[in-house]
Amino acid sequence: MEYYSLHVYTLPFARLVYLLVPQVFNMVFTPMSLLAEPGTRLPLMGNEAIARGVLEAGVYIVTGYPGTPSSEVIMTLQEYSRDLDIYVEWSVNERVALEVAIGAAISGARAMSTMKAPGLNVASDPLLSAAYSGVDGGLVVYVADDPGPHTTQTEQDSRWYGELAKLPLISPSSPQEAKDYVVASVELSEALGLPVLLRTTTRVSHTVGDVLLGEIKQPRKGRGFSKNPERFVRAGMDWNLERHKWLNSRLARVEELSAKLGLNKVIGAGELCIVTEGAALNYVLETVEEYSLSARVLKLGLLHPFPRGFILDNIRGCREILVVEELDPYIEQHLKTVLYDAGLFIPIRGKTTKHLPIEGELDKSIVLNALGLKQRDQPRSPHKTPRRPPPLCPGCPHRFTFLALKRAISKKGFKLSEVPVIGDIGCYALSVYKPIDMLWTEHSMGASVSMAMGLKLAGYDKPVVAVIGDSTLYHAGLQSLIEAVNKRVDLLVIVVDNGVVAMTGHQSTPAWSTSETGRILKPISLDELVKAVNPDELRIVDSYNYDELVGVFEEFIDKPGVKVVVSRHPCALLEARLKGVKTRYTVDVELCKGCKACLVVTGCPAIVMEGGRARIIQEDCNGCGLCTRFCPYNAIKQMG
Amino acid sequence: MVIRILIASVGGQGGLTLARVLAEAAVLSGLSVRTGETLGMAQRYGSVVSYVQVGSRVYTPKFTPGEADYLVGLELVESIRNIHYLKPSGVALVADEYRPPYTLSVENPFNTRDQAIELIKKLESKTIIIPARRLAIELGNPRAINMVMLGSLNAVSNIFSHDKVEQAVRKVLPARVVESSIKAYIKGYEYAQAIRNSFLA
Ligand code: SF4
Ligand code: SF4
Repeated sequence: MEYYSLHVYTLPFARLVYLLVPQVFNMVFTPMSLLAEPGTRLPLMGNEAIARGVLEAGVYIVTGYPGTPSSEVIMTLQEYSRDLDIYVEWSVNERVALEVAIGAAISGARAMSTMKAPGLNVASDPLLSAAYSGVDGGLVVYVADDPGPHTTQTEQDSRWYGELAKLPLISPSSPQEAKDYVVASVELSEALGLPVLLRTTTRVSHTVGDVLLGEIKQPRKGRGFSKNPERFVRAGMDWNLERHKWLNSRLARVEELSAKLGLNKVIGAGELCIVTEGAALNYVLETVEEYSLSARVLKLGLLHPFPRGFILDNIRGCREILVVEELDPYIEQHLKTVLYDAGLFIPIRGKTTKHLPIEGELDKSIVLNALGLKQRDQPRSPHKTPRRPPPLCPGCPHRFTFLALKRAISKKGFKLSEVPVIGDIGCYALSVYKPIDMLWTEHSMGASVSMAMGLKLAGYDKPVVAVIGDSTLYHAGLQSLIEAVNKRVDLLVIVVDNGVVAMTGHQSTPAWSTSETGRILKPISLDELVKAVNPDELRIVDSYNYDELVGVFEEFIDKPGVKVVVSRHPCALLEARLKGVKTRYTVDVELCKGCKACLVVTGCPAIVMEGGRARIIQEDCNGCGLCTRFCPYNAIKQMG
Repeated sequence: MVIRILIASVGGQGGLTLARVLAEAAVLSGLSVRTGETLGMAQRYGSVVSYVQVGSRVYTPKFTPGEADYLVGLELVESIRNIHYLKPSGVALVADEYRPPYTLSVENPFNTRDQAIELIKKLESKTIIIPARRLAIELGNPRAINMVMLGSLNAVSNIFSHDKVEQAVRKVLPARVVESSIKAYIKGYEYAQAIRNSFLA
């Protein structure tokens, strides 16, 4: 794939165009902002601020796997990588990303891994062992949670990972702190010899705020590695016990060190005390200011180990405590323990007392409500408006694949309601929405093939289809495929290969020959990998070849064994940006009868009905031509 | 003093870029800023809102219904969806773009842009409809609807000087569209300026 030469076009909408490398566009830009002088104040998104923090902390190795809302840290750094002497590349999955970072950090290099919350689950195995071995160079594990949730399968609260892995965990409240906390994480990590978890939420990572820049440090590379099995070999049980004691002794020092870094703060004074952290702090501060409350706000930056000393130093004299935090009642539970141990009884309101909801993200009105206050202007009620769930893009190759599968299932005489389509994580999961309406499950990376296999083993007697994307297959799907082929189940596996990690903003996959930073890669062929697993059938089809897809699905769907169809076509959005759109389609209003067939079959978002006629939004059509197949009146025409 | 702006759009229309230009202009003007949005490819062609807050000191990444001083709508249905974010004294600036979502297209195929305009005016009398596409196309850049709306917003709100907006546009947008974007901004500014006084009287 020759994506690289124009990789700058592969930025997501999320990416800030002004961060593009100027020499690639060969145009005059204002001085590159990520590398701006210390003392400059810039509007930066939380993740961009973290990217700057990486430079200010002297981090040398940055790895990760794309996942909203964490991806822009690596994407931003990659834009500057030519000017920076650092390694910043996507990994095949989060676990590998973290292991690479651990390997670097045990040699004294400063390292960071980035991931969304479910990614930390994938990386949790090396994380827990790394706590016992410790590190020499600072190691920051950046994980972004997603209260809401906006783009994540669960409302996971990764603060518990601090506790589970027995590692320090800190959590910033704003883009400024996000940057500063990277520097603090590295300092803390090196002072303790432990990896540090830097945890954010969507409203920190994806918020733009004004950020004051600090000094950029020389990246710290490895300094060698000497053999020390007691420390690094987890096969010795006596050693493990000793390392556990060592780990606990390290943890005991965290609070004192974090005090020096100023991670916890008291803001304001009063007998009403509010304990908070992360994005929630902002709703609290705005409320306190707007309603002139006399409140003592305890802002926690250190979440694990829970800052017992800071709490006890600052909680006395509180008449009551309100805990304002997102996701689980983490602070609330710890606070109760601390007060109980100290023999203090102060009423605590929070999630367990139902003053705040335990699901969804917070906002100011929820904080007001918890404080017994009313919003000044009562909002009017929303006007009921039909939802607009995100569809597959115009021209998306997945649309061809799913419509062909639908057709093949019907042609073979099966009902759509009896052939489960077990999905995976990626854009193709959007096929769950009407009118495509094909996906039955979407769980966790790589789970499609293995869950489909379980369904068959349990005795499901109709065909079962698993759909998985290229990047997801590399990430964790191959193992599932090995399992299915090895155990000889009957499955149709469709690998939808668009050549890119599309959903998170077009990042590279192991199939690329050059990475975003210009690094020359050895491409790992998806076809060869699948061949090596030796499924009973393998067919590779261009997704835009609808008739061929229908044919092969028909042929394979009820054949015994594992049949793999690689349905391959580049991501339409990326193609449009790389190469432009050569032809577009338009509706001839004279011929259109308003039957809606084009829309109700494809659900292409470039097609709308207006005044009883179909209309194609010109600049949105990516020219795939799929809709023309379904117009009974031949009203959709190619434009000149 | 905090000014709260809600930008409602369909993913891909440039709502996020608009928010980013406002953030740049704010920092260039020596103001504090926060924007909040949900990013990710999956938002493409879905409903997107950006919260922008500008002031001497702002904290929160988002605000709640009933708090917005301005609603900037890049599309009619999305503007209708978010009209309750306006506070009683708030003003809606809405592009006359009509992109009905799938269900609306299927269930009410006879709906029109005019009906949507009528509805939003009924929901909020302080609505200014901007023929944003026409203005943008006159400049040869149909994608500059967001910049036309930026001009309209600044004409009505007077938050930033032209100079700061122009600098911000230069920083945020790719060079090849900077000039047409600035022109689109001016077009939108002039259009809204002309009807603003009579309208808000
Ligand atoms: S050709 Fe039809 S289906 Fe394909 S992108 Fe254009 S409008 Fe959508
Ligand atoms: S399928 Fe053809 S006739 Fe029917 S609405 Fe679409 S363009 Fe019009």
